[in-house]
Amino acid sequence: MKKKIISALACMTVAATSLVGCTGSSAPADTPAPAEAQTETPAAETKTEETKTETTTSGDKVTLSIYTQYADDDTKVPYDYAVEQLKEAYPNVELNLIVQAQDDGQTLKTLAATGQLPDIYQASTDLINTFRESNQIMVLNDVAQSTGFLDKLYDANKDLAYAEDGNIYAFPFSGQEYVLWYYNKALFEENGLEVPKTYDDLLNCIEVFKGKGITPLALFGQEGWNTAAAFDVIATRYATGGIKALDEGSASVTDEGYVEAAKMMEKLVAAGLYQDDATTTNYDQASEKFLSGEAAMFINGQWYIEDATKALGDNVDWMFYPAADETSYEAGKAAFSGGGSASGFAVNPDSENAALAAEVAEFITEKYCEAKVMYRHNPLVALDTGKEPDSEYPAMMKKLSDTLPTITSTTKFTWGLTNSTFNDAIQSESQGLVSGQFTADEFVENVADAQ
Amino acid sequence: MKKYMGNKLAIFLFIVPALAIFIAFDFVPIIQVFAYSFTDWNGLTIPNFTGLENYIELFSDRVFFTSNRNQLIFAIIITVYQMFFATVFAITISDKKMKGRKFLRVAYFIPVILSVTVVCQLWAAILSGDGLLNKLVQLFNSDFKQNWLGDRYKAIYVIAFVNAWQWMGYQFALIVAGIKSIPSDYYEAARIDGCSNVKAHTKITIPLLAETYKFCLIISLTGGIKAFTEMNILTGGGPNKSTFTLTYMMYNAAFKKSDYGYGLAAASIMVLECMLVMLVINFIFRDKDQRKEEEKSRRKRGA
Amino acid sequence: MHKEGNKSISHYVFVVFCWIYAAFSLYPLVWMLFYSFKTNQEIFVTNPFGFPWPLHYENYITAWTKYDVPLYFLNSLLVSVGTVAITIFCALLFSYATSRMVWKGRTFTRLFLGLGMFIPVQAIMIPVVKVVQNFHLMGTRWSLIFPYIAINLAFSCMVYYGFFKGIPMELEEAACMDGATIYQTFFMIIEPLVRPATVTLIIYIFLNAWNEFILANVVVGSIPQLKTLPLGVLFFQGEFTTDWGGMGATMVIASFPAIIVYSIFSEQVESAMTIGGAVKG
Repeated sequence: MKKKIISALACMTVAATSLVGCTGSSAPADTPAPAEAQTETPAAETKTEETKTETTTSGDKVTLSIYTQYADDDTKVPYDYAVEQLKEAYPNVELNLIVQAQDDGQTLKTLAATGQLPDIYQASTDLINTFRESNQIMVLNDVAQSTGFLDKLYDANKDLAYAEDGNIYAFPFSGQEYVLWYYNKALFEENGLEVPKTYDDLLNCIEVFKGKGITPLALFGQEGWNTAAAFDVIATRYATGGIKALDEGSASVTDEGYVEAAKMMEKLVAAGLYQDDATTTNYDQASEKFLSGEAAMFINGQWYIEDATKALGDNVDWMFYPAADETSYEAGKAAFSGGGSASGFAVNPDSENAALAAEVAEFITEKYCEAKVMYRHNPLVALDTGKEPDSEYPAMMKKLSDTLPTITSTTKFTWGLTNSTFNDAIQSESQGLVSGQFTADEFVENVADAQ
Repeated sequence: MKKYMGNKLAIFLFIVPALAIFIAFDFVPIIQVFAYSFTDWNGLTIPNFTGLENYIELFSDRVFFTSNRNQLIFAIIITVYQMFFATVFAITISDKKMKGRKFLRVAYFIPVILSVTVVCQLWAAILSGDGLLNKLVQLFNSDFKQNWLGDRYKAIYVIAFVNAWQWMGYQFALIVAGIKSIPSDYYEAARIDGCSNVKAHTKITIPLLAETYKFCLIISLTGGIKAFTEMNILTGGGPNKSTFTLTYMMYNAAFKKSDYGYGLAAASIMVLECMLVMLVINFIFRDKDQRKEEEKSRRKRGA
Repeated sequence: MHKEGNKSISHYVFVVFCWIYAAFSLYPLVWMLFYSFKTNQEIFVTNPFGFPWPLHYENYITAWTKYDVPLYFLNSLLVSVGTVAITIFCALLFSYATSRMVWKGRTFTRLFLGLGMFIPVQAIMIPVVKVVQNFHLMGTRWSLIFPYIAINLAFSCMVYYGFFKGIPMELEEAACMDGATIYQTFFMIIEPLVRPATVTLIIYIFLNAWNEFILANVVVGSIPQLKTLPLGVLFFQGEFTTDWGGMGATMVIASFPAIIVYSIFSEQVESAMTIGGAVKG
């Protein structure tokens, strides 16, 4: 008995001391692969100090931490390309990638609050505004000038680079983006349906599809931005400003147009436009439904063109949003939902290599744009890269490019909204509408409270 | 004896390690949470004192009431479900005649081992619109197909069930451990007296495990009040915040709206609610403790 | 004998129910394993519940190449074991002092520590990280271990309290008569009696530390050599799309060690319990 207790205690102390040993010497050396990585941080720290005093002597490695997305092709391809290019342009710079968590900025805000911001980070409009107040985001005006970023920036995207106070805080890589209403051409043809122009047409389509057991429109309503976009494509038919005007306060949700839009959405939900469990459907579920032909329509950004074309080929297209009647349909063709946002790569001003980080951030932004054009066939990037895609643009992208010059107004994606209270409200209240259990009146009332 | 059990140095040495870590890594942060709940802090800037503003706003927030209602439903469901099944299964596998009891014991505990993410993904698949459950339901009666997780009023019950199902195994393990520590001659005596199995357990096991049950009650009630992760994964708090809890309000305000002060006010209320529950439970169980101690001293005097 | 014959029907119904419930508890394991061999399309549309065919074992290859599995594994192990050892040690001593020793303010101290049970991690995250920084623990595994201990302490102390309360006072009286010091009494006589609780808690704390994500992401998320296994899922979650199969593979990789630990310790529970019972009887 006694022996057992003592041995148990001994075990505990051994465990504790071995831990001390490990953390004291940073990490055990017997794992071969990560050995290099382990020495990286302390080494980088001392080295960065050197570079600070001697100003980048060549040959000294500088490690910059970067917080960005790295998960699917749309984020991996540009990042890998940028890293590869960086090796040639800045051989002394190494990037330490911190993969962004999908947690509403929780991680980044905590890192900021505790003074651990990475050197370079991907910042949304909301974060830019928050970090501006606490001086945790670097003003990049000079760097944008000296690196030629401003020269390469498309005129249409000029407003994306500047924050409300006229400064540049982040290098955007996405240009103007659009909410597209995708549809499965084959399904429409098989069922003898025309592409709907009016809500009456749409209601007819819903009935036919539901009769066949096909989901009319697969929404990924677990994400607030998709339900907000679903509302916006209707709202812009009645008031071109859509959710952007509401965000800026230049319109009120109690205005006639918005009330009508909410009522129309309520009606469409009741008719069964979206699947029953839309509010708990995630992106992949909804997307798979659409790509496998279980759903006839889908609402997503233009970045989805590549994936949709890959899976459905010629059977997929996008349509102009349906409207109340033919005249407003024609008139509304030029008013799109979606738009650009000021999000992009920002720099931590307290970084030991802030100046270098700013240059690198600009470089990476350029390379992101190039990779998106060349390998993701998405010409809607922030900068004029002068690159050509490695194969022809998909048909849907061509159609969009042809339409672009005629577009008169856009709105915003939720991540481009500036009023965070309104942003929160529009996302959850539009989700309420989609669920079919909140009325249009409740929607209007609650959004008005938040405005 | 009194001096022996009142050894000041020993008491000091025994409580200091735990207290030190608790104060540094838990209590100091808690105090800050309460302090910041009276400010307009956004997590980064220097906070301004705003008095009770956050609390006044909180009490007029529609979601605040939904959250409290949800927490109550959640707490009641998980408490009833877990304590009932945990007791039944614990007694069953403690019966040496039960075949395969070792296997069953491991099986009931498996959901606890898996991370919440895995369990929630599984249930999301089962409960989705064309998921397993709806398919089963359709076999019997096609009208009863439900939108299990997307319903404004019913979703919270379903989420509570998922939580109850996952963590039942833990209370089960605690009660099994408790039963093991009851000397077996108690049961032998009961059997000789002609008590049935069930009766023996209601007479012996449950009263003797009062402390364990009190503890189980506290963890499931406060677990319900604290609930967050399951909602976050299964419904994202939706539709339209109808499956929010105070922790979710805190998360939403702090990270989506950058209104940390407001979020912490919600968190503070939640902590106060948990404390209240714990005090009430302690109060209810206190009488028994006192009675026991009185009995003990009486016995001692008699001896 | 006679009695057993009587209750047969309801008894068998009950036994069948127990087994069905058990099967249902085991199902997530099977499901997770299947899931990890599927593509998004199979998971959401074509084959959400059936056997995965063809086997997309490349999910495991992706998981293995995307991050340094052995290193993350080692980190998780060190952090979890450290957390378990220290928490158990502190909680044992603390609960003994508050449940059996006699001093003023013991109820208050016990309830004070119990506060820790009610705090959601999200709420105290920023202050906790600041404390970790103030102690200069950043960049070491202690940056995770200490907060984890703090999180688990309240719960562990409550479990122990219940168990200590159930032990008859006579044991200490006898030990005192025999001239044992309070420390000897505690480590030699009392501690073995609460072994069942200790083993149960070891499992519980280990699982908590092993599966923890939120704090780990903030504290060591930017330090590749300290990352723990749950952080692996980040490599599969994009802004819009998630590689669910790859995530499944990561979850299998992360869960199986926990299941192994449990199967080992569940045997220990059994033997520890019989020892405890023997002493008591």
